[in-house]
Amino acid sequence: MQSIKAKIQTITDKPVVLMVLMGILSLSLFLQHEFDLRQALLFLTGIGLGATLMYALFGFSGAWRFFIRDRKSVGIRAQLTLIGLCSLLFFPLIAGVIPSISVSAAMGQVGVSVIVGAFIFGIGMQLGGGCGSGTLFTVGQGQVDMLITLAFFIIGATLGSAHLGWWLALPNIGKVSIINEMGWQSALVLQLVILFILYRLVRHMELKRQQKLADFSTHTQRESTIEQLIHGPWSLWWGIIGLTILSLVTLILAGYPWSITFAFGLWGSKIWAALGGDVSSWAYWSGGYPAKALNQSVLADVTTIMDFGIIGGAMLAAALAGKFAPKDKITTKRFLTAVIGGLLLGYGARLAFGCNIGGLLGGIASGSLHGWLWLVAGFSGGIVGVKARVWLKLDKPYGAA
Amino acid sequence: MKNSNRLIMGAAISLAAILVAADHTKHRLPTPVEEQEQITEQSNIVIEGEEDASPCSMNIESDNEVSSPCGFGD
Repeated sequence: MQSIKAKIQTITDKPVVLMVLMGILSLSLFLQHEFDLRQALLFLTGIGLGATLMYALFGFSGAWRFFIRDRKSVGIRAQLTLIGLCSLLFFPLIAGVIPSISVSAAMGQVGVSVIVGAFIFGIGMQLGGGCGSGTLFTVGQGQVDMLITLAFFIIGATLGSAHLGWWLALPNIGKVSIINEMGWQSALVLQLVILFILYRLVRHMELKRQQKLADFSTHTQRESTIEQLIHGPWSLWWGIIGLTILSLVTLILAGYPWSITFAFGLWGSKIWAALGGDVSSWAYWSGGYPAKALNQSVLADVTTIMDFGIIGGAMLAAALAGKFAPKDKITTKRFLTAVIGGLLLGYGARLAFGCNIGGLLGGIASGSLHGWLWLVAGFSGGIVGVKARVWLKLDKPYGAA
Repeated sequence: MKNSNRLIMGAAISLAAILVAADHTKHRLPTPVEEQEQITEQSNIVIEGEEDASPCSMNIESDNEVSSPCGFGD
């Protein structure tokens, strides 16, 4: 019988592992040298998030599609559990229960821009093949089609930042924090009750359709826990726990919840400016944090270094599991859906104050009402996106074997 | 057959690294004297946000209704 060490050597894509480890070490030291230890730690937190997402295959777009098509709810139940656990940890911190820890909520105004943006994002998730986190970790896994999605995600986010002022002027009721409105204890209880009801609802719908219920465990078991930890796959439970802990670490270190797509707009706008474009006339980049981010090194931006970390962490995990850069061919149809999906993802995320991470997870878990609106509008867009996949013959019709 | 996807990924990462290095280096160069005035004007815009170093802590409403809540941070 092969020893664990021998198996690790057999499965592991050693050249990629070595290069990624060297890259992680170099960039960590560079960030610590150029900025501070916090910046390096946030990069390493991103590495952890990427590895967790990759090992547990913790995605949103696939999970929503499986539920919409076949009422398979395991992914959605995992997301609800993650949101519940993050809420449990975030609410008291945001309410200032521990005075030495100062953190902010991911607030966004509740209005038309979130409804339209999240709806568009929901469609884009299904066409592009990934959400905000999903796009990053599949790029890290070496899926070339997701590089196309990411490229157009960046273009979409940049266009969104150019038009955001107009969208924000549309009807809205401003930012609403349920922590401020109700007090953190009452708000937390209410939120957990709603999440529990949703959990039971999707569970019931799965049982009714499938006559059985999938659980959070993985069906691929390796010989030891260490081997499973290094090579994956991880159970959804491991994914939920890992993401919860790392989201908390992000909140404490960065001072605000984990976010992804601000960086995409920043990268696109910097590239546009480097090509001679004038982004200073765009209201979004004319003041506050966005202007500051635009006028300093891209490595000074927390979302950027965390996004780099997610890609690096997923790459490391994929190489350790021997799954880096699968030999998939890109068809013309896949290319086009990646382009359209990426544009919708980027534009939608900008309008909706974030993607499935910053808008949905960060918004709800930090008590912003716009997060709940994001969920409803995003899921509605997901239903349209799943139907569009059937129409485009990317998926079989509903009920087909 | 060699996996060309690995080469594409390698090329994409290399390009990204070059762009990041170029951007980082650009921001480290000393400010040219003739541009000082312009930079000072720009920094007036930035100063509002400087007291708050995160996208979440800036709940400042500007004239054009583009506030900067944390949601902008993603």
